[in-house]
Amino acid sequence: MQGTLRGKSGPNFSLIYKVFGGVLFVYLFLGFMVIPCLNTLTSVFSAKDASGQTDPFAVIRFFLAGSMPSFVWNSLKLAVILVVTVNLVGISIVLLTEYFDIKGARILRLGYMTTLIYSGVALVTGYQFLYDSNGMITKWLADMFPEMNRQWFSGFRAVLFTMTFACTSNHALFLRNAIRGIDYNTVEAARNMGAKPFRVLMKVVMPTLLPTLFSLTVMTFITGLCAMSAPTLLGYNSINPEIVRLAGSTTADEAFPQARAALLSVILALFTIVLLLFLNHYERKGHYLSVSKTKAKLVKQKIQNPVANVLAHIYAYVLFIIYMTPVVMIVIFSFQNWSAVRNKALDLSGWTLSNYFGMENYSYTRSNGKISTRIGAISGVFANEKTVGGIRLSFLLSALAAALACVIVVVAVNYIFKHRNKKRAAIVEGCLLFPWLLPTILICYSYRTFFNDEIWYVFNQNLYYKENVRFLIVIAYAVVKLPFALRMVKASFYAIDEELTDAARNLGASNLRTFLKVKLPIVLPSILAVFALNFNALFTEYDMGATFQKSEGTTYAMVIQSMCNEEGRDGMNMNASGRRCASTVFIMLVSGLILYLVYGVGARDLSERLAIRERRRKRLAALRSRFTKRSP
Amino acid sequence: MIHLMDIVVKFGDFEALHNISVHVKEGEFFTFLGPSGCGKTTTLRTITGFIEPVSGTVSMQGKNITRTPIEKRNIGIVFQSYALFPTMTVHDNIAFGLKIKKLKKEEIERKVTAIARKVDLTDDQLKKAVSQLSGGQQQRVAIARALVTEPAVICMDEPLSNLDAKLRVQLRNELKKMQKDFGITTIYVTHDQEEALTLSDRIAVFNKGYIEQIGTPNEVYNSSATEFVANFIGDINPLSAGIAEAMKLSPARNHFIRLERVRVNAPAAEGVYETEGIIESREYYGLYIKYYISAAGQTIKVIEKNDGIRIYEAGERVRVAIHPQDIMSYDRKEA
Repeated sequence: MQGTLRGKSGPNFSLIYKVFGGVLFVYLFLGFMVIPCLNTLTSVFSAKDASGQTDPFAVIRFFLAGSMPSFVWNSLKLAVILVVTVNLVGISIVLLTEYFDIKGARILRLGYMTTLIYSGVALVTGYQFLYDSNGMITKWLADMFPEMNRQWFSGFRAVLFTMTFACTSNHALFLRNAIRGIDYNTVEAARNMGAKPFRVLMKVVMPTLLPTLFSLTVMTFITGLCAMSAPTLLGYNSINPEIVRLAGSTTADEAFPQARAALLSVILALFTIVLLLFLNHYERKGHYLSVSKTKAKLVKQKIQNPVANVLAHIYAYVLFIIYMTPVVMIVIFSFQNWSAVRNKALDLSGWTLSNYFGMENYSYTRSNGKISTRIGAISGVFANEKTVGGIRLSFLLSALAAALACVIVVVAVNYIFKHRNKKRAAIVEGCLLFPWLLPTILICYSYRTFFNDEIWYVFNQNLYYKENVRFLIVIAYAVVKLPFALRMVKASFYAIDEELTDAARNLGASNLRTFLKVKLPIVLPSILAVFALNFNALFTEYDMGATFQKSEGTTYAMVIQSMCNEEGRDGMNMNASGRRCASTVFIMLVSGLILYLVYGVGARDLSERLAIRERRRKRLAALRSRFTKRSP
Repeated sequence: MIHLMDIVVKFGDFEALHNISVHVKEGEFFTFLGPSGCGKTTTLRTITGFIEPVSGTVSMQGKNITRTPIEKRNIGIVFQSYALFPTMTVHDNIAFGLKIKKLKKEEIERKVTAIARKVDLTDDQLKKAVSQLSGGQQQRVAIARALVTEPAVICMDEPLSNLDAKLRVQLRNELKKMQKDFGITTIYVTHDQEEALTLSDRIAVFNKGYIEQIGTPNEVYNSSATEFVANFIGDINPLSAGIAEAMKLSPARNHFIRLERVRVNAPAAEGVYETEGIIESREYYGLYIKYYISAAGQTIKVIEKNDGIRIYEAGERVRVAIHPQDIMSYDRKEA
């Protein structure tokens, strides 16, 4: 027998719990991760030819002979160019707000960070509103340059432009943190040794940012490769929209669409796996850590050359305008009447709340001279049945999925930390990170095809049938968000001093009590942050919503996408564009509020909370004493 | 009170403690002293129950507690980081153990208030978050939390190591006073020899998983049992073969003398070894002055009380005297 570090004072879980937990975990992992994806993989090689014979390589031959490689090529082209443009803009916005001394940096930062609350399908439709052939800015530019191509905002250019500005959120968060972590003494040391500011930037600052930049580059590449909402809405033939199209197609229309969709998903998965393994290998090499005992806070660098300084300011504010214009315009137009929104021209007498609340009728003169009235043709976000239905459904499914992902991850991380250095902990962690290797579309496509049948291990239910699809969406949402949740929650568990657990146990607390009373309150802000970030992302999520598209599973993003269909035809759906603007504002408010609650209120520690409580108590006491003095 | 008998602890193939035996008496302030990795914290964690020994027994008040669960040992702990729960107020930190014991609310309040008084924590401080307290106050909370459940023994794992030098000295004195007031048996772990010497009734000096010596502070300092103890506690001068020969000391042993026992320009006395030396450099400490003197082919360190009258300058010639009774000799260990 060997001396052991005591993990517990007695059995913390009964054997039944252990067995039940283990069986449940294996069931969920195999049933909702491995088997559906394996089914997709095998379906590529089980396509049948015209004679009904299985031809394992039929799809691959079809792929090589037909136009399918063009989708892969288009996705790759988008990913590669996006890496350049996103890094260019992302690095710029961080340097302009954190490294260089640019006037109004705080306001600029707010503008650059709008993508945190304004993204996905809402952002793409917002850009369309401004830049499509009769968009406000295109019209304005065409007035200045009559020769310009008014159709410029379509296809590849539109996708690239939109995604370049939409995909800088990670730079705004992570690169900003990295640059703020730089030890200013290293900058001073370089300057002291005679290095010019530009040389300091290139030789001292940028190299320390390289690991973060590398990770961001890989993530951007994967985002470009797996792009969905922008290519779909702006018309660009990349992999993901094609998978969704094929998934909804039948053999009556074209040759083995499902198997082709599966093949495209597998190709995407292969790219993702290779890139993530490459990233993992690079991350293992470690990051540059400051060796300073006392780190100095970065001081913003004034650009000494006056011309360069002016140019930097102009560049900063041009970027700011690009980021802010859609947000400002969407907010303004959400309060404009339907004709102003449809004409995309501001009408100072056309302010209304009808895009948000209430319902109005619309009267119009028909070609035969009769006046027709369309009941409820103008409706606000909160009065329109479809929109409210989409909001309600997305709210519920996102909240459920975000909570489910958090619960699974918290229980798993607690287990992982208890059994660290043991193989089973590594296995649990590996299983939860597994979805990271697979593109979202592969998981959703696999679910859609595999569970569109009666499956024995889900009690012979067809999970894609009618309302069951909602359950499938919740599971897909949760599975996709597991790796992110795991990484974040695990990082927060590292912050728990082991001595706290020892202290609780020494004072007689059981494992459950130690977890609930000591560990959980410490990691709760992080768990809430993970919940909120996942909820925000899922609430307006487009890719999965599009893959599972079904009347019983029409999520908010899909409602927004379809909002303007048949707008104004026969006097119906008159203010669809205005309602879409109002929907976007609502999303921004919800996202902003959640971020505030998590990072503003939720991040307060006990001392801050007690201080606020004390201030409130004093204010109340003062009020009370004033009241009692006045009363006779 | 606490009795460790032939304790062996292994981590994998590595044997961290080799047959450790210690007896801590009731009401005693007992210190485990040693450098990092010597096994002192491992011994403490074996007593508290966080580590289960491979062999040997841990007894408390005559009862074998080797396999007793941590929470049933009735041992309070003050951790190095204090391990105060950051999400609870000071009051809730102290009351944590009492709530687990399911005491009545009024009794919890009474006990918390009473212990807070004893460790000088005010009612205002009880309402605060632990992060709002200073290092010294946090330490008091940690002690109060450990004592409120009325343990038979309290174990402290380097509780002063996170504090600045001045506060360490201040809290050291308070700690000693508290221990005397409560009269509780205390086991204290430190690598700081000054802390051990000033606080302890007895000290166990650890080295590489063994106990080199157990004794009072005076015994371990003035009658160090081994060369390691002599080296670790305070500062010593190894004497060169030349001096040893001149003083007719055994060539088979290593000989040392403590810095304050070397005399400079002292009146000649019979049987005292004397030699000429030159002051190489000096370090001024205020209360005393440390000289580096080149003499008999070696550098001898000397501490002289700063009387403000005679301070030697570098390059000055002095007479160095060593009394044979001050020599500490140890058998030479085989390589």
